[in-house]
Amino acid sequence: MSLRNYIIVRILLAIPMLFVLLVVIFVVIRIMPGDPVAAMLGGRASQEVIEARRAELGLNKPIIVQFFDYLGGLLKGDFGTSTMTGRPVLDEILERFPATLELTIFAFIIAVLIGIFWGSKAAQKRDKPVDIAARGFSMFMYSVPVFWFGLMLQYIFGMQLKWLPIAGRISATVDFESITGLFLLDSLLRGNWVAFLDVLEHLILPGITLGLVTSSIFLRMVRNNTILTLTSDYVKSAKARGVPENKILYRHAVRNALVPILTVMGLQLALLMAGAVLTETTFSWPGIGSYLIMKIRYRDFPAIQGTVVFFAIFVIVINIIVEIINALIDPRVRY
Amino acid sequence: MKKYLLSIFVLVGLFVGILAQSTIVVGTTDKIRTLDPALCYDYFSSNILQNVLAGPVDYKVNSSEIVPNLFESWEVSEDGLEYTFHVKKGVVFEDGTPIDANVFKFSFDRVIKLGGDPAFLLSDVVKSTEVVDNYTFKVTLLYPFSAFVSVLGYTVAWPVNPKVFPADKFYDGVPSSSGPYKVTEWIRDVRITLRTNERYFGQKPKTDRIIIQFYENASTLRLALETGEIDIAFRHLDPRDILDLKNSKNLQVIQGESPQVRMVVFNVQKPPFNDPLVRQAISQVIDRHLIVEEVFQNMAAPLYSLVPMGMWSHEDVFQDGSVETAKQLLYQAGYNERNKLVIDLWYSPTHYGTTEADVAQVLMESLEKTGIIDVRLQYAEWATYVDYFLNGNMGMFLLGWYPDYIDPDDYLWPFMSESGAKSMGSFYVNPYIEAVMRAARVSNDQEARTDLYHVVQQDLAVSVPYVPLWQGVETVAAKTNIKGILLEPSQVFRYYLLYKE
Repeated sequence: MSLRNYIIVRILLAIPMLFVLLVVIFVVIRIMPGDPVAAMLGGRASQEVIEARRAELGLNKPIIVQFFDYLGGLLKGDFGTSTMTGRPVLDEILERFPATLELTIFAFIIAVLIGIFWGSKAAQKRDKPVDIAARGFSMFMYSVPVFWFGLMLQYIFGMQLKWLPIAGRISATVDFESITGLFLLDSLLRGNWVAFLDVLEHLILPGITLGLVTSSIFLRMVRNNTILTLTSDYVKSAKARGVPENKILYRHAVRNALVPILTVMGLQLALLMAGAVLTETTFSWPGIGSYLIMKIRYRDFPAIQGTVVFFAIFVIVINIIVEIINALIDPRVRY
Repeated sequence: MKKYLLSIFVLVGLFVGILAQSTIVVGTTDKIRTLDPALCYDYFSSNILQNVLAGPVDYKVNSSEIVPNLFESWEVSEDGLEYTFHVKKGVVFEDGTPIDANVFKFSFDRVIKLGGDPAFLLSDVVKSTEVVDNYTFKVTLLYPFSAFVSVLGYTVAWPVNPKVFPADKFYDGVPSSSGPYKVTEWIRDVRITLRTNERYFGQKPKTDRIIIQFYENASTLRLALETGEIDIAFRHLDPRDILDLKNSKNLQVIQGESPQVRMVVFNVQKPPFNDPLVRQAISQVIDRHLIVEEVFQNMAAPLYSLVPMGMWSHEDVFQDGSVETAKQLLYQAGYNERNKLVIDLWYSPTHYGTTEADVAQVLMESLEKTGIIDVRLQYAEWATYVDYFLNGNMGMFLLGWYPDYIDPDDYLWPFMSESGAKSMGSFYVNPYIEAVMRAARVSNDQEARTDLYHVVQQDLAVSVPYVPLWQGVETVAAKTNIKGILLEPSQVFRYYLLYKE
């Protein structure tokens, strides 16, 4: 199969996946008890007002009609209107998304760096202190509740040592105008170094929280895969030829170990966004995670649906990109 | 020359000092839902509007007394149906658009036409609006309603700039200011920045820039204050955190009256709560003091009527009862130690902050002291909770109330009238009490209204569709150099009075 055809097939396969997901989300949200309009208006509005608002939002139509209305809207890029704010859901998501993306990328970099360096060193020094520490760290980070770890960092580095800010994306008093919503990038584009440093400071604690938690998965994978490649014949022959140990580790073992890990890392980047929910709540990070939590509380159907669909599209796109990269690296994948 | 240089340095230093002190950062866990008065029906959105717009009437500072503002004066027709308002001349929005009778007509009609969440406050009583002349605005009511001017104190009735707000749809941008501040930056759920509106006709703000920073939870808000990220923490700190903060030398904790009331609601049509004896028995053993002490660390006050303390017509109609009286009532209702009354008590775990589960727990312990009641605690998130109580699924549950306007009517009509009780999940119906409240709505005589509201409150204690529990206390924690914090009975939090010392 040519690369072009392969890409087309991958994209076509994603469509039924997205459709099934849409049906599931749509049904699950609706069978849960709780009327979004009543929740929004509280107990104060009359039944007439509630009914009028339901009609306005199309919530009085049969569920199947609502579904196809929604689907039709989605195809035109309309994610619906939030019952809480009366604003287009896509606008609200796009306002929040850069915050999550920024945090996720930052955390991902931390996770990858720790994963690759410590994981490969642990493999090289198997059963030595470096390896034991890596395994201990990995187990601890994998099992620790994210919010607890975040709170601890807030307490130590924010409250006691006063080194870093404990919440938000930027200090209230720092003048700053966003362009893309990625504050770190925007402050660079504007040449606003005060804002850049401030944003960076704000990123550190939530980024480390999320990054360290994710790094435990990478670390273990890199370690295990590197151990496997270190025991392979070509590494043994490289050793026999007298190639320096570090060169063997990074040029041969880690590089080969990374091929299968790349797929997982791609998916992990998408899952990281989902994992950002708790981190965002702990650090008052105004991203999609905290947005989703807020909307679930108020049973804001269109917003919950929109966020999940947005996530799903994001995961699918990342997945396709990863598969394409894999197909480029290893042509056997295409067959 | 040296002297001059020194003077310049001192002056520059002072100037920089003044500039540095002209910003106050306020932190909150609340959110802004909208800045359109036609849709705004939550505390914090109103709070911003109250500082950015000017209302037709206002509350006197630190009081719940209504005073003229954009409406300089008004006359009411003898039948109580026509209100003729005289608009203050020379007042403009920040872009120079004059605020006149046309602007008021545009704003009132827009609210009613759009039918947003708070629209019923006007549409339930307003029949028509009319521009008599440029500065005379007339409103005709559907029926006489003596609290109408109080309703105008709520942001739903505040004029908006027709050049900015569309007539036929909600507006999700920043309002054109007519109040002490204007919005210069709004990054949703991150921060909103207010700066002095130079065209405001009233008192100039003492601090040029107010930044409101949003936090997700109470613990982060507390940390933000303690680490100096914010100057003021306004809504909502945890009561235990407040106790800790009170001990801090660098911080001050200010508490003030709050018109917020909390209660237990009974669905009077759902067994076993359809038996008044059961409701009365429960009201006898509820220990308000224990809730206030244990859960709120005394940062609330026991309440014995739905009308809050300090408001005219308030009367303590409930009392601290006794376990013995409760037992007698339960025996009469057919329950005893062998045939126990088994009930579900519902609460919403996050909607009213972090303390609700503790309140439910204390209530359960109070009720089980009788030895005849078995309580099962149940909870549901707010959306489900509202759905349940509107559909009559819950027999006994906790609810809170923030007033729309400061008048006893807003504490009794929404609960004791048939339509109101339905929307509160109590489904209480009493035509006589409804007639009494209607008479109070029509009357312009405060003494007569007071007597009528006493009748309603006394019925509340006998019929017991609700048991009032406590009245909230508003709390603000701030750095010690922040002055001008006023927690007013009207709930208005005025940023223009704040300053740094």
